[in-house]
Amino acid sequence: MSRPGFVLEVDERTPPLLVHQGEGFRLERLPLGSKVVYPPDSLPGVRNVDAAIDHALLHPMGIEPLPELLRPGMRLTVVFDDISLPLPPMQTPDIRQRVIEHVLELAAAKGVDDVELIAGNSLHRRMTPAELKRIVGDRVFRSFFPDHLRNHDAEDSANLVDLGSTAQGEVVELNRRAMESDLVVYVNITLTAMSGGPKSVSVGLASYRSLRHHHNVHTLRHSRSFNDPPNSAMHHSYERMKDLIGDHVTVFQIEATLNNDTFPASTGFLNKREWEWNLADQGRYLAVKRANELLPAKSRRRLWQATAAPYGVTAVNAGAPGAVHPQTIANVHRQQLTEVQGQSDVAIFGLPYICPYNVNSIMNPILVMSLGLGYFFNMYRNRPLVRPGGTAIFYHPVPGEFHPVHHPSYIDFFDEVLTQSTDPAVLETKYEEQFATDPWYIQLYRKSYAYHGVHPFYMWYWGAHALEHLGEVIFVGGNRRTTARMGFKAASTLADALEIASHTVGTSPTISYLHAPPLVMADVR
Amino acid sequence: MKIRDEIRLLRHGRDWRGRSTVPRSADPWIQFEEEREFPTRWARSRVAVAVRSGLRRGLLRPVTWSQTRPVVEGVEYLENLRGPAVFVANHSSHLDAPLVVSSLPRRFADRLAVGAAADYFFDARVRAAATVLFFNAFPVERHGSRRLRSLAVDLLDDGWSLLLFPEGTRSEDGWMSAFKPGTAQLCVSRGVPVVPVALRGAYAAMPRGRNWPVPGRPRISVRYGRPLYPAEGEGFRELRTRMMRAVVRLSAEEELGWYGALRAEADESLELPRRSAERPGPAEWRRVWESTRPLDPRPRRRVWTF
Repeated sequence: MSRPGFVLEVDERTPPLLVHQGEGFRLERLPLGSKVVYPPDSLPGVRNVDAAIDHALLHPMGIEPLPELLRPGMRLTVVFDDISLPLPPMQTPDIRQRVIEHVLELAAAKGVDDVELIAGNSLHRRMTPAELKRIVGDRVFRSFFPDHLRNHDAEDSANLVDLGSTAQGEVVELNRRAMESDLVVYVNITLTAMSGGPKSVSVGLASYRSLRHHHNVHTLRHSRSFNDPPNSAMHHSYERMKDLIGDHVTVFQIEATLNNDTFPASTGFLNKREWEWNLADQGRYLAVKRANELLPAKSRRRLWQATAAPYGVTAVNAGAPGAVHPQTIANVHRQQLTEVQGQSDVAIFGLPYICPYNVNSIMNPILVMSLGLGYFFNMYRNRPLVRPGGTAIFYHPVPGEFHPVHHPSYIDFFDEVLTQSTDPAVLETKYEEQFATDPWYIQLYRKSYAYHGVHPFYMWYWGAHALEHLGEVIFVGGNRRTTARMGFKAASTLADALEIASHTVGTSPTISYLHAPPLVMADVR
Repeated sequence: MKIRDEIRLLRHGRDWRGRSTVPRSADPWIQFEEEREFPTRWARSRVAVAVRSGLRRGLLRPVTWSQTRPVVEGVEYLENLRGPAVFVANHSSHLDAPLVVSSLPRRFADRLAVGAAADYFFDARVRAAATVLFFNAFPVERHGSRRLRSLAVDLLDDGWSLLLFPEGTRSEDGWMSAFKPGTAQLCVSRGVPVVPVALRGAYAAMPRGRNWPVPGRPRISVRYGRPLYPAEGEGFRELRTRMMRAVVRLSAEEELGWYGALRAEADESLELPRRSAERPGPAEWRRVWESTRPLDPRPRRRVWTF
């Protein structure tokens, strides 16, 4: 039986606590009385994953069993989540590979010839063949690549289809092959409560025309939080699109949830509560930290990026997107939700080395902002961890580095747009269109491995709710130039950060620290 | 950060074994690791027996005998004892086991295993290793056994004699308390003889809380009694009573002498220990007072009298 998550109150018996800080980590002694939100212990994984997949495919929710939906001569499209899930990438075999193999076994048995596999990468960069192969496995890759195993191309107008508009006037333009199939099987990993369900198809296979209706400042400011679908305007939009999509194509959604085994055994101390570290854990902490600091920056990044999580699969569910998703969310909550009493003046977050958009890449300042003020800030239900007008303190070096191949538009966004304004609404009205339709960015997105031109804007909108909510944002150990460019402050130590924050929250603020990763979602009462 | 500062931060609030105190708010969520059984088989290998024998004669006995003045009586009763036996003694001090082990004839001492509290001697690996090496100790669960089967039965079957302290713990006040039934059950079920052993003066020499004997080489008496054989059809309760009577009698020999103690037992004037809860007896301070009374120094009998 795994222990539930809990809120620690720092007292004199509390050892220094671990804080992630980009491609590294440190121990920090938090002020007495600070609250620390710990996730539930990692749940035991399903012992027989193959049996769980089989059971899910044969007993789906709100739809016929998969074999009954398959017939000879049909058009079957299998869509799967791209490299942004899970984080860090899971040790092979990836759960998507196992699910896809089961689906294809059934399809082969039923004599389905016309099968396409599409990565639902939306405006994310294309995945390289090696990355595709890592996700779907060697057998699938060799059988389908390159003609029938592809990345979705949101700028290939010939291969997009306009399904019409929702009641709210939201255009739904999606991948033509998928929408003209007899059956779409979506293979999803729901790492946080945000992903999966109606989001999968309506975002993963969409074009910019369609995405702009939910990926915008207004929607994101009214998604409180975007990790809590019932209270997320963004998810309400997905729901409306899902209904429209349902009129055109049958979607069979398979959702897998993972446990919190985020770090491999060699860095197992990162998964443990600090006062339970034994001598070996402490030795490993020292050795890993020291070695990490001594490594050249390039090797360090390569090493972190090569980390694969030994995730256990907690459940595999299948069914119609609307029917299966509540079950999946419940499983995610079982692993991540911790109840917290009351908001605090200051919230502390340790930002790790990875976010959904820098797998095998570099976490640039915009991505740091989106990870901190977007993902981590929004890891709440009911109310944010920090009170309105409070301070968020993030740990991250915020280096001014960009991946020139993956993030070309980010460079221009950082140098040319953020220098004009940091207000998401201003950026949206003044600059978004220009970046979204820039032919060179489109060319790079389609033919190279670049994120779409508009993607940095979306990253900025991701933090729109936090920017509106917070009084002050401080990065401990942050690069002064980059943090200042984004309108934030940098501090060298936590004490300095609290000193800076004292102007907005006073000299003895209440403090909460979200102890993640492994991921934890605060249910703030 | 310099490595020294890093280590200092890491070590903050941790003991030498790297264990941290548990934050109060985390107390309900502490997960106790399933304790692994400490391996003791190695201590019964031929090499370990030889090493232990050397340690016993070269270290344990000289040190114990240099710090206390043990007087050993009744070893002759063991002459005709064959095969494994269970030695049962009253228990009031950490000196008890060294005294018995070092005073036993070698044929028993080399084939002896000592039952030691699992929660005390086997909770830290260093202490467990030392206890196992010196005493061939095996863990005995005292409170609600998690172990399905104790090692004691296997050891007896393999021909090892056992030294057990059936009171279950060291006496708080030096007085003997009632025996737990486990030892008697073991002897009845395996049909092995019980050798009662009474230790007097050990409490005065090194009570609970001390880890070295008091200065002045206090006298301690170690008395072996005649082996008790479980009779045909005897229940473990009867054997347990016999064991207690024997130990009480041996203990009383200190004041009453051998014959006096036998008479007192026959007159049933020796009081058997009862469970502390139901013992009205004297106040605690008087029990401690009695237990810490130095034993009669017993000067040498004067041979030349005028």
